Amino acid sequence: MGKIEKDPKGRLHISRSRISSRINKTGSWRYMKPVYIGRTAPCSAACPAGEDIPHIEHLVSRGQFREALESILKENPFPSVCGHVCFHPCESTCNRSHLDTALAINALERFVGCWGTREKIQPAIQTAPANGRHVAVIGSGPSGLSAAYFFCRLGYRCDVYESEKEPGGLLRWGIPGYRLPTATLKHEIERIENLGAQIYCGRKIPASFLETAGERYHAIFVGCGRAHPIRMQITGDVQALDGLTFLKDIRNGDKGAFKGVSAVVGGGNTAIDVARSLARLGSHAIILYRRRIEDMPAFRKEIVLAQQEGVDIRQLTNPVRMDKDARGITLRLQKMVTDGFESDSGRARVIPIQGEQESLHVQQVFTAIGAEVENPWQQPDHGSRLQLSHCSLTNDGFPVARGGDMVNQVLSVSDAVASGKQAAMAIDSCLKEGWATVEKRLADCRVGQGPALSMESYLKDDVLQRRHPQIVGYQDINTAYFLPADRAEPVIDEPEKRKTSFSDYRSDFTTRSASDEAGRCFNCGICNDCDNCRLFCPETAVSVEDTRRIDMDYCKGCGICVVECPRGVMTLEEAEHETGS
Amino acid sequence: MKQVLEGSHAVSEAVRLARVQVVSAYPITPQTHIVEAISEQCSSGKLAARFMCVESEHSAMASVIGAASGGVRTFTATSGQGLAYMHELLHWASGARLPIVMAEVNRALAPGWNIWVDQTDSLSQRDTGWIQFYCEDGQEVLDTTLLAYRLAEEINLPVMVILDAFFLSHTYEPVDIPDQEQVDEFLPPMEAKVRLDTADPHALGQMVPPGAYMEMRHDIQQAMERVPTLYRQMEGLFAELFGRTYGDVEAVQCDDADIVLVVSGTATGTCRQALSDLRSQGENAGMLKIKMFRPFPEESIRRALKGVSKIAVVDRNCSFGAGGIFAQEIRSTLCNLENGPLVFSYIAGLGGRDITGDTLKEIYYRTKSSEVPEMQSTWIGLNQEL
Repeated sequence: MGKIEKDPKGRLHISRSRISSRINKTGSWRYMKPVYIGRTAPCSAACPAGEDIPHIEHLVSRGQFREALESILKENPFPSVCGHVCFHPCESTCNRSHLDTALAINALERFVGCWGTREKIQPAIQTAPANGRHVAVIGSGPSGLSAAYFFCRLGYRCDVYESEKEPGGLLRWGIPGYRLPTATLKHEIERIENLGAQIYCGRKIPASFLETAGERYHAIFVGCGRAHPIRMQITGDVQALDGLTFLKDIRNGDKGAFKGVSAVVGGGNTAIDVARSLARLGSHAIILYRRRIEDMPAFRKEIVLAQQEGVDIRQLTNPVRMDKDARGITLRLQKMVTDGFESDSGRARVIPIQGEQESLHVQQVFTAIGAEVENPWQQPDHGSRLQLSHCSLTNDGFPVARGGDMVNQVLSVSDAVASGKQAAMAIDSCLKEGWATVEKRLADCRVGQGPALSMESYLKDDVLQRRHPQIVGYQDINTAYFLPADRAEPVIDEPEKRKTSFSDYRSDFTTRSASDEAGRCFNCGICNDCDNCRLFCPETAVSVEDTRRIDMDYCKGCGICVVECPRGVMTLEEAEHETGS
Repeated sequence: MKQVLEGSHAVSEAVRLARVQVVSAYPITPQTHIVEAISEQCSSGKLAARFMCVESEHSAMASVIGAASGGVRTFTATSGQGLAYMHELLHWASGARLPIVMAEVNRALAPGWNIWVDQTDSLSQRDTGWIQFYCEDGQEVLDTTLLAYRLAEEINLPVMVILDAFFLSHTYEPVDIPDQEQVDEFLPPMEAKVRLDTADPHALGQMVPPGAYMEMRHDIQQAMERVPTLYRQMEGLFAELFGRTYGDVEAVQCDDADIVLVVSGTATGTCRQALSDLRSQGENAGMLKIKMFRPFPEESIRRALKGVSKIAVVDRNCSFGAGGIFAQEIRSTLCNLENGPLVFSYIAGLGGRDITGDTLKEIYYRTKSSEVPEMQSTWIGLNQEL
């Protein structure tokens, strides 16, 4: 075979050096510098409980369901409950909705909570050492139980007093079982008891308790809710049944016999729950609402589900009298109209149309137009008082916080959780550092710039570790890294099947569909180790050990890492004048 | 085994047979079929290579430079504007002495936007330090690609295998695809002379002071000067295994010719027919095909044209202000010869215009009837109505 002549010189001149390019400290070129600031996700800021949603979804996407559950429990004692009943303001702010559709955060929370129950997981819950102080919580609704949960975690001994025979308040008695199964609630209440909360049921506490409570307790949380139903104040209104009482009776197993046509007056969630319960008992329910459907305070989804189940909603209809006769009740209905002005509540104001009235004959009438705080528990107007977003604090000898539906602007379970948390933090801060520091201390624990507070931040007690309050906007997302993908929805039974029972009609995600859906999350503002900053750095100045670091001797401030970060974790700041060492 | 193959796929098959390890490319007509087929080979497992989709030709060349610096066998392909976009990195590849092989499909440069054949794109890269081969048909494309790897890895210079747009890239011809074992024998696994090694960290391509830069350039020139000999030796090996040989130039009936047509690329095939026609008409014509353009095969050209009185160089390209590029190179090759031939320069077939047998005969007769060459290149077949 032929031969190939070898290179007579046998060597190759190339520029190759053992001297590392590290002698060229490109950091001296820098006039801007990248910083990992870790912004706040809009969903977290919108969550009244301030859950670290992008982190939770990151864990779910990786199948780390236990860790996801533990993350929720840092801020919210009720993952399963909220997964069932939360009105999920988080989803309305989801940046993903600008790309395709918002992440199914609520259904994912439900998945995580229920997975934990199903798998009998004992999540680790961080608690402070016992501090020797003793607090009392009046009322075991969502705000009271949340307060108890967070008090226990802050090291308090905690007694919870409940007038009913079982704890849960509105969750137990006011929300029908098809929305929140009793077992789900009981499981999460047990978790709070296991943390040390002593719940005393059947103990109706008189308001005078507060006068002597200081002898036994260092502080009190009052979360009695709104137990006093508002009446219509029209002729014959005594004929009407109270909606909340009706729901409670059903929860107690007393379903009554309501046939024929039922009128339900009101436009909130209770009115919807009453109407849907009636539909399950075989009665045709007609909701009478004085404003327009779009002004109803009830959650949109619930309204749609109710309509699917055959509930009639008559808007701009206001009962003005009711007359009982042998066959039932005749309602006199005044037709209403919007007059172009706004009411005090910000909704369209309605006025009666003169001369337009009609009659409606029904078998029974339920009212669900709201409830008030019972008088003895009303806020005193003397003494020092601090009005916070979700509770009010007085300090007449010892701190007393009032929270939950008693003081909240938004009457929701997640706002009740926020209330219990805020009250526990405020009382703890007041007892340990004094009244004057409460507002500042709580402000340091805010999630974003809204009212949501983070117990995690509070426990860390380190402002520097707090996530940057700036909210990640869609413009901060590098959408080159995200492809449109369909949102997963939990399967909901058909209306005809739903109407046959009071059991849950939604099915959970599978572990696979949960991880897939969570994988749609942009993880706004949190580093999920995608590694783009390191891979794209032209100076290989990014290193990863316990955390990501930028070697400022070599970072020339080009900003590529900031642009390539898909989720707005980084920012470019003006550099200091001196260069790297 | 003979198979009817598109010219582009003759390249892809050669890349597969060469067991290339990293391919990076950006699609551009008329090159796309090459990398399309390679990407399919990669996904089906026929070729165990990492295929990188990049966002530009600049990045395609940058990434094969990176991969080649890691000591693996690399491939990319481009055409026209894409090659122009790579320009900066073409210098880098040769300066770094990396044995990269690239298929380049000759495509006219814009504007006016034109996807058809024209050699100006590759010829304007003649000073980048790349070895250049212009191919005539699908078989030559396949064989030259295999030779290119052997040559590049021996001499540590990058090689461009060049084929005409459509006339070659998209034309189906029977091509003999060699057996893998034989190819493996001809082309053993790459033994990289330049290689980044994490066990022995070095930096490549750093600052070189005036005291050393010139020696590096001199090395490249010396390497280029070795190429014709080395290429001939490699073709010897290749011929032993596969029975085919091409030469850096191919002289056809030049020995007794008065006038020799100098051609490259697919015009060569046409010229073979034109030559046969001219001979049958009693004309003393010859043909010289130029396959290797860099390094310029001066010795072979001088030897082939000895005793010839006139040559007609057909350029499918133009260096504006200087004319046909092959003609310039040949003039400078012949200028110090005593009794060298007169060099007539013609430009034909730009932007995909056909070079037919008649075009070449017209060139032949013009040359025959002219006493002395014009100073400038003569443009053939211009449409007088435009």
